[in-house]
Amino acid sequence: MLDVTDLVTAYGKIEALKGVSLQVEGGKITCLLGPNGAGKTTLMMTIAGVLQPRRGSIRLKGAELAGLSPARIVSQGVALVPENRLVFPHMSVYENLLAGAYQRHDKAGVNADIERMYARFPQLHERSEQMAGTLSGGEQQMLAVARALMSQPRLLLMDEPSLGLAPLIVAEIFNIIAELNRDGTTIFLVEQNAHMALQVAHQFFLMEQGRITFKGTPGQLAEDEVIQRAYLGTRRAAG
Amino acid sequence: MIDLVQNTIDGVMIGSSYGLLALGFTLIFGVMRRLNLSYGPSIMIGGYVGTVLYVQYGAGPLAVAGTMILGAAIAGIYVERLCFAPMRMGAGIASMVSSFAIWMQLEQAAILVLPRHTYPFPPLTTGAPLEWGPFLLRLDHLIMLGCALGLTAAIQFALYRTRFGLALRAIIGNPVAAHLVGINVSVAVMLAFAAASAIGGVAGFLVLSVDQQVTPMFGMWATLKGLIAMMIGGLGSIPGAILGGLLLGVVEAHCQWYFGPQIRDLAAYIVLFVFLLVHPGGLLGRAPGSDIAAPRTP
Repeated sequence: MLDVTDLVTAYGKIEALKGVSLQVEGGKITCLLGPNGAGKTTLMMTIAGVLQPRRGSIRLKGAELAGLSPARIVSQGVALVPENRLVFPHMSVYENLLAGAYQRHDKAGVNADIERMYARFPQLHERSEQMAGTLSGGEQQMLAVARALMSQPRLLLMDEPSLGLAPLIVAEIFNIIAELNRDGTTIFLVEQNAHMALQVAHQFFLMEQGRITFKGTPGQLAEDEVIQRAYLGTRRAAG
Repeated sequence: MIDLVQNTIDGVMIGSSYGLLALGFTLIFGVMRRLNLSYGPSIMIGGYVGTVLYVQYGAGPLAVAGTMILGAAIAGIYVERLCFAPMRMGAGIASMVSSFAIWMQLEQAAILVLPRHTYPFPPLTTGAPLEWGPFLLRLDHLIMLGCALGLTAAIQFALYRTRFGLALRAIIGNPVAAHLVGINVSVAVMLAFAAASAIGGVAGFLVLSVDQQVTPMFGMWATLKGLIAMMIGGLGSIPGAILGGLLLGVVEAHCQWYFGPQIRDLAAYIVLFVFLLVHPGGLLGRAPGSDIAAPRTP
């Protein structure tokens, strides 16, 4: 569904992505693991169009996304749940969901979808008039997911949804991820929590220092090796 | 006692023009978190376009108002494209400095094109002031107050009840997330700039039609009054901008009456100084640092 080929993204002279190639299959959960600073968030921001790649291509079912504005990429059916959630703190939960549907003009459909989000995330329903900045971390994460879903994405990108959340909440978030996938959403997930990620992922990639260093299915590599490489990187693990 | 009330009335009326100026400033600062020093000079350019229309073609006040507002909006877009759009997020100082450079550019351009120091500007009404008991109310002052209140309500409505307002508030809340939900941030910011400068154009037209003249110094005057009123009212607060303007107007009117016109401008700075010392958040703004803990932007 998503084909990333030889992608290079740089901050000034420093290349954060040094030629990344990977594929996300439709209907599956694909996970990207790697240590801090590997370039995972840069990759997500580049796919979403917030960062412009220097080289390479990003194809969604054959259509080129590289070079498009973030707004155009949303309209192509890609939505990102960003790292740190980035909800709109001074807007109510309801308004955050409305903003998520910014590009849609079918008012009835948007309202129906908001009701669906309320049904799936009952805490959001209870707090629909509350400012998003006053929600707990877990509730903000759910809001960020619901907001992304409001654009009716074909591909949902998630950047570290478990970051800074208590273990029980993390388990809940991963349940939701599995549930969304069962309902037909393709998911591309960046995670530090390798243990949880490997339980839901159909396939995964390891990224180290701006390059993809492993591609496979969860059973293919012993979990402790994955964890070692995901947290520490190969170089330090070897030395 | 009659003087006191009459001065307060005059102050409120003049203050409403300061409030209008602050309203445009607040819109830009609220959306961008950046200071546009070229705000006043953009309005001055609109005023010059208006005076040309008046002097050369004898246009009436409404036509002059329309062209002035349009001229200010276009000048505002010019400033935004030049000083704000190319600067990356977080480069607030850089865009402020470049807006200062454009201020000088606009001012010099006005002087080059129309080299005389002052040009006449059409009055809005020439009717006698209304009498209300022992007090006098100028008609153009009343229009000023009406415009200030009406535009405040219109902006509040636009911000909280329309799709464009939702987009602007999303950008205020988190620009990166605004991109991610599919808002065209660059276009929205440009439109907000144009709207802010148009509001400034309304304020400028009302002030100039009371003064019945325009000079190149009007740009600096508008930037200073708008900035001071915005800071007194509270950074980023729409009702605060109007309140700040009214308070500034009243203080100035009383100071002029009791201490003379030289003290009048000084009074504005003293009020600002006291607010910054005692209550830096302004009348309705949040003091720096007391914001809801918002997630960090990458």
